[in-house]
Amino acid sequence: MLTAAIETIKHSGPEQEMLEQLLERVALGDTEALGALYGKTRGAVYGLALSILKSAHDAQDVTQDTFVKVWEAAGSYRSQGSPMAWILTIARNLARTRLRQSVRFKELTEAEWEAIPAGASAVTAEDRAVLQEALAILGDAERQIVLLHASSGLKHREIAALLEMPLPTVLSKYHRALKKMRIQLEGEKSQ
Amino acid sequence: MTDRDLEQKLQDALEHTAPDDFGDVLSRRGTEKRNVIHMTNMTANTCEKKKRSWPRGLIAACLTLALLGAGTGGGMWYRANWSVASIISLDVNPSIELQVNQNEKVLSCTARNEDAATVLSDMDGGQDLEGTKLDVAVNAIVGALVRHGYLDSLSSAILISVEDNNTSRAAQLQQQITATVDGILQTSSSQAAVYSQNMAMNAGLDAQARANNISSGKAALVNQVIALNRSLKFEELAKLSVEELRDLMEIGAPGMPIGREAAVSNARNYAGTLTQNADVLKEVDSDLDDALPHYEVELIISGREYDYKVDAFTGEVLSGTADVLETLSPTPSGSLPVPPQPVVTDIGQDAAKAAALAHAGAAENNVTWLKVQKDWDDGRTEYELEFIYGSTEYEYTIDAANGTILKYETEKLRQPDPSSGGTTDIGQDAAKAAALAHAGIAESQITHLEVEQDWDDGRLEYEVEFKSGGYEYEYTIDAATGAVLEHEKDWDD
Repeated sequence: MLTAAIETIKHSGPEQEMLEQLLERVALGDTEALGALYGKTRGAVYGLALSILKSAHDAQDVTQDTFVKVWEAAGSYRSQGSPMAWILTIARNLARTRLRQSVRFKELTEAEWEAIPAGASAVTAEDRAVLQEALAILGDAERQIVLLHASSGLKHREIAALLEMPLPTVLSKYHRALKKMRIQLEGEKSQ
Repeated sequence: MTDRDLEQKLQDALEHTAPDDFGDVLSRRGTEKRNVIHMTNMTANTCEKKKRSWPRGLIAACLTLALLGAGTGGGMWYRANWSVASIISLDVNPSIELQVNQNEKVLSCTARNEDAATVLSDMDGGQDLEGTKLDVAVNAIVGALVRHGYLDSLSSAILISVEDNNTSRAAQLQQQITATVDGILQTSSSQAAVYSQNMAMNAGLDAQARANNISSGKAALVNQVIALNRSLKFEELAKLSVEELRDLMEIGAPGMPIGREAAVSNARNYAGTLTQNADVLKEVDSDLDDALPHYEVELIISGREYDYKVDAFTGEVLSGTADVLETLSPTPSGSLPVPPQPVVTDIGQDAAKAAALAHAGAAENNVTWLKVQKDWDDGRTEYELEFIYGSTEYEYTIDAANGTILKYETEKLRQPDPSSGGTTDIGQDAAKAAALAHAGIAESQITHLEVEQDWDDGRLEYEVEFKSGGYEYEYTIDAATGAVLEHEKDWDD
């Protein structure tokens, strides 16, 4: 049943090892390693933050906070083979805290899905279609799962643990979400 | 667009939109943290020695580090993560035991009997679940129990036992797991009952359980039955299923039931199929809390279903058809005369194929078989056949008893556009191989394989579908190149 998860492990093995080494160097105070780690994982961290917060602006803040925190806490990281999951756990916690605060302050004003940051220059029309429009049709959990899977290389099982959902739920939501997005994107093309 | 393409697009979009302001991260780090730069490999000792020459900030940093070392590293960390806080066992007849730490992370997942080993076989014997959260593991296990048919019947029962010396945590875990299991059973429309218990860890009980290849949870249940009737033996009761044990407790454990195996054997003997090996066991169900405690045995003999009721304590067959295969022999005294049953034969797969080919007017060596499957449907045994002959796909349902064609369908396969020139076709075997290679699965590990040729998007394609390890796979393979055009992997529910 968990064969899918295992396959992914194989693909992401060397990548994880590299992240692990970077994290070890960060723990020793190597800023260059932190830069490299940032370059390799910022997409996933931002993706997770975005999927939880639904606001590009808030997600950018949380992404930055996450790496500051990674720098602080790298010494307490214990190798369990998944440095990515460790980093994303930090991001998840920060994003959730942020979400609670914004709910408190804003009384949850109409939660608009606002995926594209203002003034972003490298964003293509395709990015816009995928991020803004396709993800808009997904439920919160679906969006989190799809973004995590696409950007982090985490196994479904790890995603389940990170998002605190049962594995079968993650699997079925993942497949349903991709199907919805594909229909949305292909529908647009043919119009 | 394949799933992979879609994910790639997402990944690209995130790369383009994610902040790229490492400078900001760098500028913030100094102000908000202890600065550990230069403290590489420094022990608390050397730190102390040299502290005078260090700026104040670094001394503070060093102390923090030393504190962190004592607080989060070493023994405390080890105890939190690797010592077993609770043992959770799930018993149906498969007995599966999970050891978890205080953070509800699974440290080990063990099959306590052979049935359990079968259930856990697609999770690498349980090893895949190690390191997962408890609820993920419980979901995976109960899902597998359902798929293996252990929770199908109305009377089946699953026992959840939590062993933990911390009573409040035990009670909380018990409630939490019971709710999880109940949820899964509801979504899989299983009507099995869920029993749960919690108790303190008990080495004596554990040893007794291990000696009998059951979980300590089930051992506790056995001991409760023995408390009702001291003449019953632990080893014998250990072999009964959870539902049998529960039923026994309900009726006050008046004696030792004969067990499922003996019930089936008695029914077979009565039906006259014991020696000929001429039947298929469809189901055996215990009904010990009935006014007349019994086992229900369903046998399929020559394509027909026969039900037997066997007394749970004496083993006597209470009802059912005797001597099915010798319908001409006199019925045993005491039972009602039984009308002679027609002797139903199975014409066999080759004869079924021949019947379909004859009907289609096709020659065996020009035919590509897509499916040959024996099935039990509408109260009879049938062969389901699918093949391609020429440019047509045929589907037949053949009565296994006499070769009658019960149903057939043909579908004209769309042909490649001749204007596109000579389209090459790698053939369905190569298409299947391409899909399996992509999935990383050996042919021996798959079931429900279907390969279909199709003309779509202006090209010849193969649709390859199969199941493996709890997933359904669907592939679209380019018939000209063998390239994977689309693929999908779905949780097989």
